[in-house]
Formats: sequence, C-alpha cells, structure tokens
Amino acid sequence: MSSNPAETKMTPEVQAMIGVEGDIVEMMGVVDQEYLRRFAQALMDPDPMYWDEEWAKNSRFGQLTVPPIMVSYMSSRIPLGGGDPVTQAFEENPFSDGIGSVKKFGELPNVPTDLVRVVNGGNELELYEYPSIGDRIKFQHRYSDIRERVGREGKAFLLITRETKFYNQDDHLLCITRATTIRR
Amino acid sequence: MVTVDDLLNMNPDDILKHNERPDDKTLRNKQQIYYDDVQVGEELPKYIYRQTPTHLFRWSASIENFHRIHYDLDFALNHDKNPTILVHGSWKQSVVPQFLKDWVSPGGWPWKARFEHRAMLTPNDVLIMWGTVVDKSEKDGMGIIELEIGMKTQDGVESMPGTATVVLPIRGGKEIPYPFVPPQE
Repeated sequence: MSSNPAETKMTPEVQAMIGVEGDIVEMMGVVDQEYLRRFAQALMDPDPMYWDEEWAKNSRFGQLTVPPIMVSYMSSRIPLGGGDPVTQAFEENPFSDGIGSVKKFGELPNVPTDLVRVVNGGNELELYEYPSIGDRIKFQHRYSDIRERVGREGKAFLLITRETKFYNQDDHLLCITRATTIRR
Repeated sequence: MVTVDDLLNMNPDDILKHNERPDDKTLRNKQQIYYDDVQVGEELPKYIYRQTPTHLFRWSASIENFHRIHYDLDFALNHDKNPTILVHGSWKQSVVPQFLKDWVSPGGWPWKARFEHRAMLTPNDVLIMWGTVVDKSEKDGMGIIELEIGMKTQDGVESMPGTATVVLPIRGGKEIPYPFVPPQE
C-alpha cells in the first residue's frame, strides 16, 4: 500500500466551478397530466390530488397539484428538434454511462475532472408551492459547493453539489433542490 | 402501529404485510394531525416497498433517466462493479416528499428535507421508509416538527439517513399559509 498522500482532485479548474450558474431557462412544454400519470404511477403515489379534479377543487389548493419535485425531472426532457443526445453520447464515448456525457437542456458545464464514476451522494429539498397542471417551469442550476474527500483506499474523490431553483410562469419559487453527486 | 425495530425482527415477507402506505381512499379521508397532538419519539407510518427490475425500468422511463446502472446488468456488473442493477436515488428522493406530504395533509406543509445515499439498494430488497419525531417548537403561529428520516433494508442497513422539517397547524391557531411562507426567525 502506498504511503503517498492522495493526489488532489480539487484542482484550480475544479475550484473555479464553485458558484458557476447557468441561465434561467424555461423547460420544454408545460406540466402535463400524461407526465404526471407516469410519474405518480412509478412513484406509487395514488394521491387523488393528482387526478380527481372535483375533489381537488374542494381542497385548500383549489386545483390538481403534482408531486412537488416532479418538475425537477421534467427539466431532463429533450425537445424534439434538439438532436439525439443519447446517440451522440455513445458516438463520442462507446462506454458512456448513459448520463454523464448526455447533454441536457439548460445543463451546467461539466466539472473538469478525470473522475468518471457518478454516484448519487445525497439531496436537499425545500418546498414552497406545488406546481399545477399547465404551469410553464423555469429553472436555474448553480454549482453551490464542491468538496474533496479521501476514501478508505486512499484515493481522493469529489462531492459536487448542484443547486436548482424552480419557478412557475408567475415567478413563484416552487422548490429548491440540491443534489450532491460523488465523482470517483 | 409496529415500530421499525419490530419490523426488523421479522422476515422480509412479513415486513411487507405491515406496509402503511395509504391508498387513495385513505388519503381522501385523512384527518389533520395537529402540532399539539404530536409527541417527541413518535414514529410516522412506515412505507414499505419491494422493487423489481420492472419497477426500476418504469422509474427510469418516467423521468427519462438513462443512467445504465439502473437497467443494464452488464454495465452495472462489469463497468461500475456493482453487485447488480441499483434502485434509483431519484426515486428515494421522491418518496421523501410523498411520505412527508401524506403525514401533514391536508393542512400542513412538507417544508424541507436533507438526506444522504449511503448504501446500494437492489431489486428485491425490502425497503422501509421511516420517520421519527425528534423535536417540536412553535414559530410564528405554526407548529414546527423536526424529524429523523431514513430508508432501511430488511437487514437494518440505513440507506438514506436524513432529517426533515414539516409544519403542522396548531389546534385553534392560524392556517398554514399556501404558498408556504417560512416562519420568521
């Protein structure tokens, strides 16, 4: 076993990514019932607030709602006419993991690191308002934190936190997500 | 209500029999829990799952998540050196607000949560989403409930240790504002 200290992965180029934010972009389409149907079924959440309009009208929310962070996944929708990022990713890298090199709408520039494995390290959620059917959602990403850790095997890895704020068409803040990915 | 400790003394098939995840009828008839009635140490209803590869595929498709570790066994084994395909962190992340929302509905608010992903969850693991009240306080006329939350496997491995803050109405007090406005410190 080597006694050398771990080679740092927190290079000046990585450090410079902290605080980098993207544009505020509007995601394609609107919050729609078909996306909601598939999402709620996959989540296994049968809440009548998602599908019973009459019942929802009489609730404190006055209309159908959708699961609070569903919109955070809608930002991954790839618009028609936007090329074929999956095919492109595998043309560029036959060993693509299917996510790291797939370019997404409104995404931040990649953190310049040679660490290739991506694992979900943790999440933070703040909820303020449920999205509604028909909402047009805007979002903005930001690298809110990047930290280095050293694993048990002595190798450095990165914890990269991306904060995203989601707004509706009236600029109401709906929710904030912070996703930390482990890059090994 | 069975406790998490009770569940962990059962075999996986018996754990599944104690799932307290509400159906739509239960959610329609949900009675408001008030801040006054909540005790520190109280456990929330347990949401119990056993995901199959088909559940994982359904989740990947629903959110257009192409990450191969969730559906490509060859990639999961030979590229990422995982034991098999893995349950999505994004699914666990989405269960959390569902779990909190259901408990505080119809008049409370699932304000915030933070959690880590510490263990690999695989198809056929029995998963127990749990929460325990660890503190309560009144702020700005609202009842603030602090929770420890997590998702344990049938073997007691904690895969998602975290915390959450939810807001409940105080009996006889004001309604929780919607859209939610956090209490003034």
